[in-house]
Amino acid sequence: MALSERPRPEPDRDSTEWWAAVRRHELTVQACDGCGVLRFPPRTVCNRCRSRAWRWVPVSGRGRVYSWVVTHQVFAPSFADEVPYTVLLVRLAEADDLFMYGNLAGGGPEELRAGDPVRAEFVDAARDLTLVQWRRELPGFA
Amino acid sequence: MAAFPRDRAAIAGVGYTPFTVDSGVSTLTLAADAIEDALADAGLTVDDVDGLATHRVGDSTPPWVVAPVLGVPEVRWYLDQFGGGSVSHAVIGQAALAVAAGIADVVVCYRAINARSEFRMGGTGRAPAPVPDAQYQAPYGHFAPPQQFAMCARAHMNAYGTTHEQFGAVAVRQRAHAVKNPRARMRDPISLDDYLASRWVAEPLRLLDCCLETDGACALVVTSAERARDLRRPPALISGLAWGGGDSFYSDGTGDLTVTEAARLAPRLYADAGVGPGDIDVAELYDCFTYSVIVQLEDYGFCAKGEGGPYAQTGTLPVNTHGGFLSEGYVHGINHVAEAVAQLRGTAGDRQVPGAEVALSTAQPGYVLAATSAMILRADR
Repeated sequence: MALSERPRPEPDRDSTEWWAAVRRHELTVQACDGCGVLRFPPRTVCNRCRSRAWRWVPVSGRGRVYSWVVTHQVFAPSFADEVPYTVLLVRLAEADDLFMYGNLAGGGPEELRAGDPVRAEFVDAARDLTLVQWRRELPGFA
Repeated sequence: MAAFPRDRAAIAGVGYTPFTVDSGVSTLTLAADAIEDALADAGLTVDDVDGLATHRVGDSTPPWVVAPVLGVPEVRWYLDQFGGGSVSHAVIGQAALAVAAGIADVVVCYRAINARSEFRMGGTGRAPAPVPDAQYQAPYGHFAPPQQFAMCARAHMNAYGTTHEQFGAVAVRQRAHAVKNPRARMRDPISLDDYLASRWVAEPLRLLDCCLETDGACALVVTSAERARDLRRPPALISGLAWGGGDSFYSDGTGDLTVTEAARLAPRLYADAGVGPGDIDVAELYDCFTYSVIVQLEDYGFCAKGEGGPYAQTGTLPVNTHGGFLSEGYVHGINHVAEAVAQLRGTAGDRQVPGAEVALSTAQPGYVLAATSAMILRADR
């Protein structure tokens, strides 16, 4: 299947700007103006200090593999030609409780280990769709 | 201190439809059949009912449709809860509160789904449930329940060295229970080799890690302990019932997928019921996937965090005595409660746990929707 046929994200009113940043190849999270805690996914309230004041901040795009799944079953027709494929859950370098999903780029899951360093890449899949993928930064994979 | 009203309400009747892959009837008919079966079990009729409660995710028939179809004389209380497996026990808890508060006398709780022939949780291209997190997952092909639990299972393997063989032990042991359960959809024994030979669905989960999407319904009659004592069956007293939510794993300060909402809920559940993990004679633990049993063995205090895998292989606690969702069938939580009631009545036949007096039954432990619920039942002896 072509990447262009991937299911489209359905942004809500808290996440529209985040997806727009991804379209510009910018990876961001929110930073609370009250207490400085970073958060993702986007929402209007800080769950530590309950401040409503926040701003977007860029993140490095670096993180470490926390977990992953290799999907073999075709759960939706648009993935019929892609199985088996690997989805990573990545812990961002900026905080232990910042996680993002994305496909594994540039290799299979065989050598994956928890804690592997990864870096975000942007893939323009279609006119209206940019995806975040993760590539390992191990020697030989960089 | 807030507490659930211990032993004030009871489960007085249990009813089922057959569990199949194609019921051939509507969820309305399934609900009606299971409700009438449960009322007959209790020695009651529709004329005694004044409350109905269910949960659904756009996949079933609500109380305000079921009640007039059955001819309930007057509905004094009802609950139409949004949610899947995580709220299954919360529905019964709210019915127990309605009874304890005196605003309803006889409440039927039901779950009726054509989860194989009409609405497959496992996904058949139908849009995933409308949760905000889906937008960050679906574009990468990550949306079906096996995938979501596989991610947590892999995190547990990474953190604690949990093995495929330990997941397999859950499947094999539960199948052995199902062999003794006439209601179970899967009654042929399986070995660990059978498990390991089953195909990958979402690695690290295989086909035999996954529950059985099932057409069927189950219903329970909830009434006061006093009234239940005058009915046809010995009551199963609702000693504790806790529900709640809390964190998603996103930006919650913990960054740990290996601890579920159950870990926070369990202490107050046990305190409300006045028992501890060591008092539980039988546990029906929500088993949408094998992994959820392993993590709940930890989070409900039967073993230490990280020891759920070894415990699944060698633990002596009877778990999912009906075969669970893996082998009896997946009716989204309520059939675990029904099995707990049978065990406390001593009517579980070949799979009876001798002398079972206290049972734990649990809902989906809080992945995906960050909420869970669970109950402790005890025999009225």
